[in-house]
Amino acid sequence: MAEYTFRIFRYDPEKDETGRVQEYRFEPEPGWTVLDALNYIKWNLDGSLTYRRACRHGICGSCGMTINGKNRLACETQLKDLGTTVVTIEPLRGFPVIKDLLADMPPFHDKHYPLKPYLLTRTPPPTDKERLQSPEDRKKLDGKYECILCGCCTSSCPTYWADKNFLGPNALLKAARFLFDSRDEGFEERVNVIDDKHGVWRCHTIFNCVEACPKELNPTQAIVDLRKLMLRGRL
Amino acid sequence: MLQKPPVIRHYTWHLGFIAWLLHRITGLLLVFYLLLHIWVIHNIASGPEGFNKVMAVVQKPIFLLLEIGLLGTVLYHAFNGLRIIIVEFADNAAASHKTIFGAVMAVAAFLFLLGGIPMFMHFLHALSH
Repeated sequence: MAEYTFRIFRYDPEKDETGRVQEYRFEPEPGWTVLDALNYIKWNLDGSLTYRRACRHGICGSCGMTINGKNRLACETQLKDLGTTVVTIEPLRGFPVIKDLLADMPPFHDKHYPLKPYLLTRTPPPTDKERLQSPEDRKKLDGKYECILCGCCTSSCPTYWADKNFLGPNALLKAARFLFDSRDEGFEERVNVIDDKHGVWRCHTIFNCVEACPKELNPTQAIVDLRKLMLRGRL
Repeated sequence: MLQKPPVIRHYTWHLGFIAWLLHRITGLLLVFYLLLHIWVIHNIASGPEGFNKVMAVVQKPIFLLLEIGLLGTVLYHAFNGLRIIIVEFADNAAASHKTIFGAVMAVAAFLFLLGGIPMFMHFLHALSH
């Protein structure tokens, strides 16, 4: 492979006033992902580089970062697919930065708590079996439950950049996952959080979340479905 | 912790973002146009002579050219708005928003030519007089 230039966002809270760019040049092996290149840098060139990683298989959601101006998972992004030998890597934007590529995720995760992202029921469960769901009802959750909480969608959302109180595409997708679940009875508990100026109505259908999602989910569809649910509730 | 990290490279633009940005810009332009329009119309209160004086200004060739721009602005805003309405209310339309954009913009472009060509001819006619 050709020589690649990696332009990486660096920030050391003990030394730096603000973020800076550090360049690394080397020739990656064929078939490397961006995460392989980051590992190479950390293990061979500069041990101080900090980033999150865990599974390397696009399922843990740890390595979401902005690569060449787009949010992606570093482990699932092949270098050759970037179409350039200059690779700019930044932490997920919209969040504070702890160090280097380490975005502070609690502002992202905290959006889930008010939505109660777990099954809420009022009726007692059947005594002889689990709460069953028909295959048709189960199918309604396709495209809603697969989220790996990497943060790529919310971090790509211009509405979230402007309004940090906005629930964001991720939390709303999660809300849709439970509100459209035939077994869930938690509409009353969740509706006030969603039906709010920082909830579903804040979305401007910019579709950055859909472009960014590494799992190819569609948070915008979930948001417009929730809006229709809210409208039906009012009518 | 760095609260506002500097951006190295701007976030990639794509169709949905550009469509939204243009929607905002054309929306603002329409607000300014409406203010101008109300100002022109309110001159009717000063009687036929005063009104005709103002009308003579806004019928200058430059305004005829700007009106073609107004047509484009209205058509973009209206038809992208239609796309948003389709995305919001049609079932599972969000995934095909780019196709919908292409379709509504084709109609908008057709209407723009339909209205824009006679308006441009009118502009040329006004220039030569």
